[in-house]
Amino acid sequence: MAVNDLIRLLEVNPVYRTRVVHVRSIEPKPARVGSLELPLSPSLAAYLDQMGIRLYSHQCEAINHVRAGKNVILTTSTASGKTLAFNIPVYSNLEINKDARALYLYPTKALSNDQLLSLDQMAKFTGIAVKPALYDGDTPQSKRAAIREHSRIIISNPHELHQVLSWHAKWQPFLSNLQFIVIDEAHRYRGVFGSHIAFVIRRLLRLCRHYGSDPRFVLSTATLANPREFAHHLTGQEFELVDNDGSPHGRKNFVLYNPFYDGISERSMHQETKDLLVSCVKENLQTLCFTGSRKMAELVTVWARDDVRRLSPGLADSISAYRAGFLPEERRAIERQLKGGTLKGVVSTNALELGIDVGSLDAVIISGYPGTMMSTRQQAGRAGRKGDESLAILVAQANPLDQYFMHHPDQFFDRSHEHAIVDTANPYILSGHLLCAAAELPLNEETDREFFGEPVSGFLSELASDDLLRRTSRGWVYTGRGRAAEAVRLDGVPGETFRIMCHGRLLETLDRGQAYREAHKGAIMLHQGETFVVNEMDLETHTIRVTETDVDYYTQPQKEVDLSIIETLETRTVNGIKCAYGEVDVTEQYTGYKIKRGDTIIGMEPLSLPALTFRTKAFWFIPPDSVEHKVTDAGLDLAGGLHGAEHAIIGLMPLHVMCDRWDIGGLSSPVFGETGEPVVFVYDGYEGGIGLAEKAFGILPALFTSAYELVRDCPCESGCPSCIYSPKCGNDNQPLDKEATILILGELCREPEKNGSCHPCPTGLKITAP
Amino acid sequence: MSVIPVPARIGALWQQRIQGLQEYEVIRDGNVFGAGFSNSMVFSTEYEQARRYLETLLSRYQDTRFDAQFQGREVFNEGGTCFTLEYRQDLSHPAVDRDRFMTHLMGDMTLVHGVGPVTRRNLESRGYRSIPDLLQHPVLKNRARQVLTCLSEGKTLSIMELIGTRYPKSHATMLGTAELHEPEDFVFLDIETLGMFSRPVILFGIGVIDNGQFAVHQYLLRDIAEEQAALVETVYHLSGNRVALVTFNGKSFDLPYIIDRLAYYGMKSPVRMPHFDVLHFSRRRWKDRFSSMRLATLEREVLGVCRNDDVPGAMVPEFYETYLRSRNIGPLVPIVEHNRQDVISLARIFFYLLEESYGCQ
Repeated sequence: MAVNDLIRLLEVNPVYRTRVVHVRSIEPKPARVGSLELPLSPSLAAYLDQMGIRLYSHQCEAINHVRAGKNVILTTSTASGKTLAFNIPVYSNLEINKDARALYLYPTKALSNDQLLSLDQMAKFTGIAVKPALYDGDTPQSKRAAIREHSRIIISNPHELHQVLSWHAKWQPFLSNLQFIVIDEAHRYRGVFGSHIAFVIRRLLRLCRHYGSDPRFVLSTATLANPREFAHHLTGQEFELVDNDGSPHGRKNFVLYNPFYDGISERSMHQETKDLLVSCVKENLQTLCFTGSRKMAELVTVWARDDVRRLSPGLADSISAYRAGFLPEERRAIERQLKGGTLKGVVSTNALELGIDVGSLDAVIISGYPGTMMSTRQQAGRAGRKGDESLAILVAQANPLDQYFMHHPDQFFDRSHEHAIVDTANPYILSGHLLCAAAELPLNEETDREFFGEPVSGFLSELASDDLLRRTSRGWVYTGRGRAAEAVRLDGVPGETFRIMCHGRLLETLDRGQAYREAHKGAIMLHQGETFVVNEMDLETHTIRVTETDVDYYTQPQKEVDLSIIETLETRTVNGIKCAYGEVDVTEQYTGYKIKRGDTIIGMEPLSLPALTFRTKAFWFIPPDSVEHKVTDAGLDLAGGLHGAEHAIIGLMPLHVMCDRWDIGGLSSPVFGETGEPVVFVYDGYEGGIGLAEKAFGILPALFTSAYELVRDCPCESGCPSCIYSPKCGNDNQPLDKEATILILGELCREPEKNGSCHPCPTGLKITAP
Repeated sequence: MSVIPVPARIGALWQQRIQGLQEYEVIRDGNVFGAGFSNSMVFSTEYEQARRYLETLLSRYQDTRFDAQFQGREVFNEGGTCFTLEYRQDLSHPAVDRDRFMTHLMGDMTLVHGVGPVTRRNLESRGYRSIPDLLQHPVLKNRARQVLTCLSEGKTLSIMELIGTRYPKSHATMLGTAELHEPEDFVFLDIETLGMFSRPVILFGIGVIDNGQFAVHQYLLRDIAEEQAALVETVYHLSGNRVALVTFNGKSFDLPYIIDRLAYYGMKSPVRMPHFDVLHFSRRRWKDRFSSMRLATLEREVLGVCRNDDVPGAMVPEFYETYLRSRNIGPLVPIVEHNRQDVISLARIFFYLLEESYGCQ
């Protein structure tokens, strides 16, 4: 078997052998079919027969739940037939109930198109009058009315939904008969974006109630640690979980591959990726390779083709890149060639993991941990055709998360999944959607409470005092001067905006924080691949003027962070160390910037910008005197240890709570506040907080343990980018002390907690003594 | 979970963001190119003038009470209370000659499905001159009968639909269906709003011919809370059996806006009625003749009316908002005047076009 041969090659080749950290094989599993509580209609049964489909157990389970009127969340693996599991009950209902409508939400255009094809095919075969249609920004004005009137399944995206809700009068026939809301790839709606979507969904439900419908939800997501909780936060409803996968798979082999096995690497990780791709292709394995950037996808493709060409020109042509910019026809051509077997290797960016419909292949190479375990599993899930053996390889980068996995393979394979966070308590996000809701229907504090949860009267009167709302006998009416839905962007927390102008042309807008960080005077900034230099930042008019430039250096801002605790909301003790969660004011002051070429500093310039203050949520811990003494007694640097612990904890936050390390910030100090205690803070980097610190506070022991293991097991001498160096450190990674870091983190997870009041450790980590 | 604390200045934050959206653009004077591309714009001198004017108004009406300036009455209905102003003036309108228009339609054989210009010439060469003649035609007789039934029933909507299958919506024949109505049937409508959709209507202007005079009924919101009652009144005006609506750009703006606001309060839309959008007929009539197709331009060029102390339409929202915030009625004065003038000019241009194409060429 080809996969077997390749694994043998990895084990014996002297270059490969040193870098392969771990090979894990998962036993094959046969299919499990299920049974339906109610038989399907003749037309749907015939459809399944025609397609040669027997429903797996999880599909039946989902169908049974939906037909019983339950909300369902499906979390089974990639290619387990989730789409069919919700299309069947939806069609079944639409066949009986001639007025019923369904809304499908997809995060990307490509997925919407793919779904439209399968819905169309099903409608044609079964003869059920559904007229599925896309409705998004690209839908021509002339077709919109007909789609709203006649299409019984409308496929759209959350951005479009956000915009169209205020036109609900036109959607009355659709909304008043809405029976199903299907949200595929729902895990994409997490973090700030997810918190916005949660409110868009609540606004939709509020309109449904107004028009007399009460739709059920079907969500499909990648595997999460908290599917029910996530679905509940996203929609406000209760869900049945379907996670028992009945689909079959062959033997799966997962290889962890570390180019930095010796702490340094002789060759770039991209070269190593290319070598692995070439070996797979030569072995006649159809291989999909994911890279971190579009440029790398292009380079790996070119290099691999050059390598293989020496062997056979024909083989070189069987390797291709797959880009976001491709036209639908080009995408289809690649998908066809893959299915037909003429293509052997396809290289794509991580970002495209969702847009691809290539079915299953023999091997997947993931060049760099894609940021979440969830994405990793989704990408790896592409390997494995019906019952055949498959291979997935993760090629590690130098950063802390990747290296943590390389040194702790068990954590990679056995740990449970990440928590997806949706926070409906961010006052900035909430208030924006209150404005939108008040523009859709008069807002009534009492009757609309079920959608906005907490009493919101304080918000309403505050917004009214700025003339954005007006109280009437019917409720609060929106009276702002622009469309509310236009003012509320779903991808951020609102703040003051700065405009970047180039020769009088608007390039883009940034919020104040971004502007200070990336577009201060003298900054070199990138916009759509072009390089610009900032000539002027006008704080009065919020205007930044830039011109094109062509330089070989870049700039890096330096900042000082100050923090004050506003209110401690919760406290707990972890191994005798006091930890707290609460509201804080963070002040960030950009003091200057460095001009760098490669890693060399070629200049330093001061900046005089006003301080930025925002209120957010944070967790923090205060190491007791005993820890402080241990550090100083060992002749180590307390400040460097706390700083290193802060970086390691932030670096591993994404391991537990789905987020980007840029979503969070930190501060450490050996003498903080009036009491002069040592402390480490980790805060949400968004005004108002978005639930990341809050979630992390609930799982602190697991977070501390993983951070400890990361630093302890890193082979470096005194700290490196794989453990305690942070790419976003505003203090230039000064001071850092690796030994002290290990000591402090070790104290935080010395032994398992006995305190019953704490949350059980949800990751199932074994906590080891140092 | 506890109550989410309200951050200080969160209203101001949103206000700043929303103000930044700018629903109209201020364009350098004489920049006709820019004017053509922007849906909603104000020339910069006009803008400056209007801003200065607003200041003047605020000081001039500082001590004037609402009732002293606006002599109207309160109206009560199921939507609550609202305030209405009435204004009357003489206005000439063309005499109605329904028969002549019907004869014209009867003579247009192309209204029968399947008859184009070529077929019509063939039919004419064989002696068919009108739709009734086609009742003798072996193939076309059934379709001709359907058309005649539609015409004899005299329902404007169906006849407009019939004409719409053959002619563009802005064609003079379409306008001609107005001949099927008595002048008293027309409801001239123009609204002022707080913005482009999804915000309250602040003033409804409705013109009707009443006892030989032109009466303008205006429903002016003293507060946003009166919007629903004003909507109810407007729906009354639109609910008559013979009502024909006349607007300027009302097919894309005024009517959908009102339907939207009715839906906002959970109220039903008025039933479909004949709707003459004067913008469409004007575009066809005066295409490329004037700098823009704004009502104010037509009024000046066609009717020779020149407005003084006007507020540019796009700036009505900020004038009204100033009133709401300050309760100084000054900014309302030009809004009311502007709207009344719009309704009158709308009626005059409509009748002008009707008279001109009388008999439908």
